[in-house]
Amino acid sequence: MSQRNPTRVQQALEWLQSGEPSSVERAITILQQTVFALGMKVCGNPADAEDTAQETLVRLARSLKNFPNTRVLSVWLYKVAKSQCLMSRRKSKFAPEHMLSLDQLMPQPGHDGDSDAKSWAMTPEEALLQREFRERLEKAIHALPKRYRLILVLRDMEQLDTREVAEVMDISEDTVKMRLHRARVFVRNEVAKYLAHAARQ
Amino acid sequence: MIFAALSEFLDGTLPPRNCRELQKHLSGCDPCLQYLETLKKTIRACQLYQAAPAPPPSTAVREAFIKALSTRPVRRARLRKVG
Repeated sequence: MSQRNPTRVQQALEWLQSGEPSSVERAITILQQTVFALGMKVCGNPADAEDTAQETLVRLARSLKNFPNTRVLSVWLYKVAKSQCLMSRRKSKFAPEHMLSLDQLMPQPGHDGDSDAKSWAMTPEEALLQREFRERLEKAIHALPKRYRLILVLRDMEQLDTREVAEVMDISEDTVKMRLHRARVFVRNEVAKYLAHAARQ
Repeated sequence: MIFAALSEFLDGTLPPRNCRELQKHLSGCDPCLQYLETLKKTIRACQLYQAAPAPPPSTAVREAFIKALSTRPVRRARLRKVG
C-alpha cells in the first residue's frame, strides 16, 4: 500500500522547514503536485486547480513557522486548499447544493442484484483502464453537491482519516461518516447505471 | 438500519455488535451482499483514481511559491532558481 497523501505532505513540510536546499526542492515538488491534484479533483479544471495551488502554497510559505507540528500544519494546508477550491470557481461546476437523502439512494424493492453482478464483473483496476469508465466515475464525482464531493475526495482519494477530514471541514466525525456514505452510494449508483447500460450494448 | 451502516462496515469502524448484526443479515440476503460488493468496488475505484496523473501546473505556481518562501521574514531557505 502506498503512503497516504497526508503522510507525504507531512514529510514534505518537515523537509521544507529544514531549510536544506535539496530537501526544500523535493518538498516544493511534492506540495505543488499534491495541492494541484487536489484542486483538479475538486474543481475539475486546470485553471481553478492552478489558482488553488498558487494561493494555498503562498499562504503556506507565509505561515510555515506558526504551527506546533507538521500534522497540524498538514490539516491547515488541506483546509486552506479546500477554501481556495470553493472560492476559485471560475469554471468549476458544482452541482446545486442539496442534501442527498438515503431513502432516495437506497436500492428499490425488486432491485435486480443478479444483473448488477454481471455488469460489475470487472475489477476496479480493469475498469479504470477504460476511458469511458473513468469519465463516468469523474462525472459522478462532479455531480455530487460540494459538501459531499469534498468529503469523498479528502477521505477516499487523498486518504485523510475521518478525524482529519472532520478538522478540515469543521464538522463532526459522525457527519463526515454520514456524508461519506451518501457520497459513495451516489457514485456507486451512477457507475451502476453506466455499467448496466454498457452490459446491454 | 443496514443500508446506512455499509460504509462503516467496509471501513472496519462499525461497532462489533452492529457488525455482527450486519453480517447475520448479509449471510441471508443476496441483494444486500451484492450491493456491498459493488460499493466496495466503487470505493476501490475512487482510491485508485487518485493515482491518475494530473496535468502539471505551470511554472508560475512553483515560482510564486519559491518567491514567497524566499521572502518570508524568518529563516530564509536558500533556493536555486528554477525554470
